[in-house]
Amino acid sequence: MNFWYFLTALTLLSALMVVFAKNPIHSVLYLVFTFFCISGHYVLLNAQFLMAVNIIVYAGAIMVLFLFVIMMLDLRKNVPESKSNLTKLAGAVLGGTLLVVFIAATRHMNLGNGSGAIGAQTGMVESLGMILYKDYLLPFELVSVLFFVAMVGAVMLGKREAGERNF
Amino acid sequence: MNAIIALSLSGIASLFLGFSTNRKNLLITTLLFVLVALGLNLADWNHEYFWFNNMLKTDNLSINFSSVILLSTALVVAISRSFGDDEEHTHPAEYYAIMLFAAAGALMMVTYENMIMLFVGLEILSVSMYILTGSDKRNLRSNEAALKYFLMGAFATGILLFGVALVYGATGSFNIHGIGEVVSRTKKGMELFEGGVILYAGIILIFIGLLFKVSAAPFHFWTPDVYEGAPTIFTTFMSTVVKTAGVAAMYRLLSISFPAVYGLWGNPLVWITCLTLIVGNITAVYQQSFKRMLAYSSISHAGYLLITILAKTPNTNGSILFYSLAYSIATISAFAVLMIVSENKPKDGKPDESFEALNGLSVNNPFLAFVLTVSMLSLAGIPLTAGFFGKFFIFTDAFSNVSPLFKNILVVAILMSAVGVYYYFKPIIAVYMKKGEIAEIQLPLIYKITLIITTALTIILGIAPDLVKNMF
Amino acid sequence: MNYQPSDYLPIIVQLGAALAFIVLTMVATHWLGPKRHSSKKDDVFECGIESIGDARTPISVKYFLVAILFVLFDVEIVFMYPWAVNFKELAWDGFVEMVVFMSFLLLGFIYVIKKGVLKWEK
Repeated sequence: MNFWYFLTALTLLSALMVVFAKNPIHSVLYLVFTFFCISGHYVLLNAQFLMAVNIIVYAGAIMVLFLFVIMMLDLRKNVPESKSNLTKLAGAVLGGTLLVVFIAATRHMNLGNGSGAIGAQTGMVESLGMILYKDYLLPFELVSVLFFVAMVGAVMLGKREAGERNF
Repeated sequence: MNAIIALSLSGIASLFLGFSTNRKNLLITTLLFVLVALGLNLADWNHEYFWFNNMLKTDNLSINFSSVILLSTALVVAISRSFGDDEEHTHPAEYYAIMLFAAAGALMMVTYENMIMLFVGLEILSVSMYILTGSDKRNLRSNEAALKYFLMGAFATGILLFGVALVYGATGSFNIHGIGEVVSRTKKGMELFEGGVILYAGIILIFIGLLFKVSAAPFHFWTPDVYEGAPTIFTTFMSTVVKTAGVAAMYRLLSISFPAVYGLWGNPLVWITCLTLIVGNITAVYQQSFKRMLAYSSISHAGYLLITILAKTPNTNGSILFYSLAYSIATISAFAVLMIVSENKPKDGKPDESFEALNGLSVNNPFLAFVLTVSMLSLAGIPLTAGFFGKFFIFTDAFSNVSPLFKNILVVAILMSAVGVYYYFKPIIAVYMKKGEIAEIQLPLIYKITLIITTALTIILGIAPDLVKNMF
Repeated sequence: MNYQPSDYLPIIVQLGAALAFIVLTMVATHWLGPKRHSSKKDDVFECGIESIGDARTPISVKYFLVAILFVLFDVEIVFMYPWAVNFKELAWDGFVEMVVFMSFLLLGFIYVIKKGVLKWEK
């Protein structure tokens, strides 16, 4: 339990650093660290497959994409912030209200013992696989449609056309 | 269900057909694919099926919604004119394929039984729309719209997913009937069952996600920019298919899972509905661009559709379906006229989408002028058009619901319909009264047939609404 | 087959050891190595050629396209792992499911190749 507090504090801290870091590359690195912390949470929940996937896909692959995007943009220019104080205030009030609501909700939450249906080994890859390929067969197959759309979209939007600038 | 499979496969088929056939044939085949899907969809009529371990459930309501969606898709495909003849910069095979996939996603959103299917369907639909919004790559407005839509839409989906997770945590079920069973055990007087608070937080978050997709008022800020920036044909798709699917998904969830906690989501929804109606209609009055005006009008129609969800009477199924059908066909013909007129009269190399572009349309193109007039009258809710009965059914539903809060909504809705009449008459005045030079526009055959179908349907439904209403 | 989170302690130890090695070597080289500063020495090293401009130049979108396709197939591979673990239990049903899933993505791959996205010269 103590370790959980430590890990949560670390996660929150690194997540905050993602927002507050001035250099976008640093933001990405903090984000990678946040993903590792979240993977740590998955381990604590005994969901080891998710832990591995989180590191492989998010910390590995998607962060590479983020870096690509940052390299494509010219971020050296210091653009003054365009948000007015009123917008900032409104954002703070709204976000703060949501936070308060959630804190209040968690305080009143009575989780009890749960239904007891979730055992310690639920997150194991074996049980996950059986559920995914037996009960959740349809969403699994239809996710391939989602991949297909993403692929076609990436090719269509990203492919160079005649007369476009290229370097 | 079979329609979803057919649409997924035909999407791939039309993608690969793009390598071998020309764009004219692609239009015909895509139209054929959609009609096949429509037929497969109707084949399940009067049978209630659960598919694949309760992932989807087809019943007459979902089949009706699917039919409206597929009909809109077919009409949008029919007015696409194969996306012009620019071989270098337009990719009809990809566009058609993505539209077919998007329709499959929309069907998942109206037939889902498991929240996972709602999420997968919503993602397929949204990702397709992000891509199509940005498909006009050389147009900065299109790029901006796609980026805006993507960033905000991704957040909305994330919020929705968080809500689903919380609802699962509270009820232990992803199944909408299962959730409904647990929720209905809530005792009267808002006493909380175990984990009740997170249920409420979850419902609110799901709400935010879905309201964003139907562009209801506090979550509507993306709508005008995205609708204006996207190529008009995809704006048409967005304002009909996406809206119908979003409203249907919301209605399904609220009527099956959460009727027992009506007090919880009903109150905020009343305010959201009022706000949507006011913002949509009032802002539409000030627009100079016809396309942007239609974007705000789509916000206001989301408001009318939300009233039906709130009304919760036995007639709601019929009213919501009738309204979405009437709205969809009228919107498609309005956008179709806008598209062909604005492309015919470019301004600074871009299609002119302001009201002035329509000036004097009736002189040389009486048919287009008539189509536009009928669609505007229908959207405004003038008698003898489908839109009138759509509004009529909705207001009757709202009136028969005794809750005093509803009386307020009714007042707002009627006032706002009156405002709507003002701005829907602007294009009609431009077409008939204003002077302008528009040469005769040659319409392709399919285009003409589509416009005849939508206009005829609008008028027939306006004269004899029972033809369709009884079916629902 | 009854795993607990504590079973992953060795991994944390391993991670710690790896990090410690990096930190140690970096500190050690700073301590041990001689330090000579001059304008030439402190220049960014570019194979002996004088460095021009900035490392942060915009890169071609092709890299990005390859990266995004990589992510898609990466996620697809992830789906195969729980299937492989349960290969025997899922038997032929699971096999057919996987074939359908894979064929969808294979078609996507064929499309990508036919479009010539992976051809660098084009």
